[in-house]
Amino acid sequence: MKFLVFSEDGNGATGLVTKLRESGEVDSITLGGEESKCINYGSKTVTVLKGRAMGDNSLKAIQAMNPESYDKIFISSSPLGRDIAGMIAATLKSLVITEVFDFTLENEIIRTKRFFYGGKTILEEESRAKVITTQPGAFEAKKVDSSSPLNFVELEESKISLEEEVEKDRSGTDIESASILISVGRGIGKKEALDQVKPLVEAVHGELSGSRPVCLDYKWLSEERQVGLSGKKVKPKVYIALGISGQIQHIAGMRGSKIVIAVNKDKEAPIFQECDYGIVGDLFQVVPKLVSSLK
Amino acid sequence: MPMNIVVLIKQIIDIDQMKTDPKSGEPLTQNIPMRIENLSKNSIEAAVQLKEKNGGKVTGIIFGTDKSNAAMKEAFAMGVDEGFIITGYSGNNPTYTASVLGRKIRELGSVDCVIMGNQSADSYTGLLPGLLSAALSMPLLGNAVSVSLEGEKIKIKRVLDEKDEIVSAQKPCIVSVTQEINQPRLPPVLQIMAAGRKPINTGQAEKGDFEMPKVLSNLAPKSDRKREIYEDMDKGIAEISKIIRGEMK
Repeated sequence: MKFLVFSEDGNGATGLVTKLRESGEVDSITLGGEESKCINYGSKTVTVLKGRAMGDNSLKAIQAMNPESYDKIFISSSPLGRDIAGMIAATLKSLVITEVFDFTLENEIIRTKRFFYGGKTILEEESRAKVITTQPGAFEAKKVDSSSPLNFVELEESKISLEEEVEKDRSGTDIESASILISVGRGIGKKEALDQVKPLVEAVHGELSGSRPVCLDYKWLSEERQVGLSGKKVKPKVYIALGISGQIQHIAGMRGSKIVIAVNKDKEAPIFQECDYGIVGDLFQVVPKLVSSLK
Repeated sequence: MPMNIVVLIKQIIDIDQMKTDPKSGEPLTQNIPMRIENLSKNSIEAAVQLKEKNGGKVTGIIFGTDKSNAAMKEAFAMGVDEGFIITGYSGNNPTYTASVLGRKIRELGSVDCVIMGNQSADSYTGLLPGLLSAALSMPLLGNAVSVSLEGEKIKIKRVLDEKDEIVSAQKPCIVSVTQEINQPRLPPVLQIMAAGRKPINTGQAEKGDFEMPKVLSNLAPKSDRKREIYEDMDKGIAEISKIIRGEMK
């Protein structure tokens, strides 16, 4: 079989290509500057789109690669990835299955798993969908010895013009690859309280992440640290949830964690249904004690 | 300049109220009320604000069922001027959904802007904006946290992982919004009453030749968590630090 894989940031392609290379030949596409992340995973070719990638001009570049000649087109889910997936599905008039976190292939039949009802159920479907979007980090990446040959494609000008760009204070962190995550929720109360959590992050050599309100509504943490259905899907060895109530959308982002530890004042918080170990108590009392006990 | 704005409204079952059967894991959807999906409310608010600022008209479209009247009336109360309900929604093929909505939008004639949510709360497909952009050949301004009309251009601010961007395109455009764009208004009682009297146009979706995926199962994920909860803080800390140390090795 022949597969086409698109990943905006390169990282999304690694696990996907690893999984697909067992079943056939893979051509990958990524954006300029991200190619080094995905050249060692067994793609037959890696096409690099150079220039300012928007939906319309990326679609044109992908169309020039003859998408109908591929058996399936996989797109790693991201803002641009989802826009492009819709556009390709419209041009191919194909069924598209989205936000897939697990699948098996049997010729053109694909069995897929994705969350439904806001993460409350897992929907398992069987179809001939030609376009599939996948959750980044859902599949384990394994490198190969060789590197894929690169093709560079200059993007045409987009109909969408950039008026202004505001770079974010980006720590360049990648919470998806952390082995221990300390995740904070509304329960920390204010941004300054993060300083009281940081000693724990250091003590366990972990990374800091947060719930949607913390990252998007209050902006106490940057968006790249958001765990949840609409954020990153993480599966660390240990996930420590501090002051997170455990809304289903959050659980859907951390369900793959090996061990979940929760600290919450509210005994009835739903997070206690989804944790391995829990402490009912004030996180500002628990955290310092936990830090000294770890030393 | 007066604008002709279309807003796409999705109606879903109230997933916050929905539970799953503790034994079988089946979703218990019976007797759960329907509601306008939250991002559709943000979309309506964004459309109505554009109209209030520039003049014009907001047309709401629901691809739904014969139970979608209440959602449309709520949209009227929030400021939508005209409403179309297309019945026959099945929901599991976004390409079909887009083709039905695309046909309706084309029928409406000259449109400046089509506004919708970027990802719906039930299925999170996030595909409709891209599908409609390609089907209607309108540029897609995606993930907007603000939207405005500037002459012949529509301008949005969008939030990406690594940066914020202000981008614009010649209208007509597709605009997808995130929940951070606004706080949807709660309409006053008078407007709610007036909305009830407003006529709604309804029609049936044309069946096309579209594949529907076969559902193999739709169940709550099994949670094998240990759920060892400590109300004695010191005991809990001792146990948990042992576990963490074990995993750090």
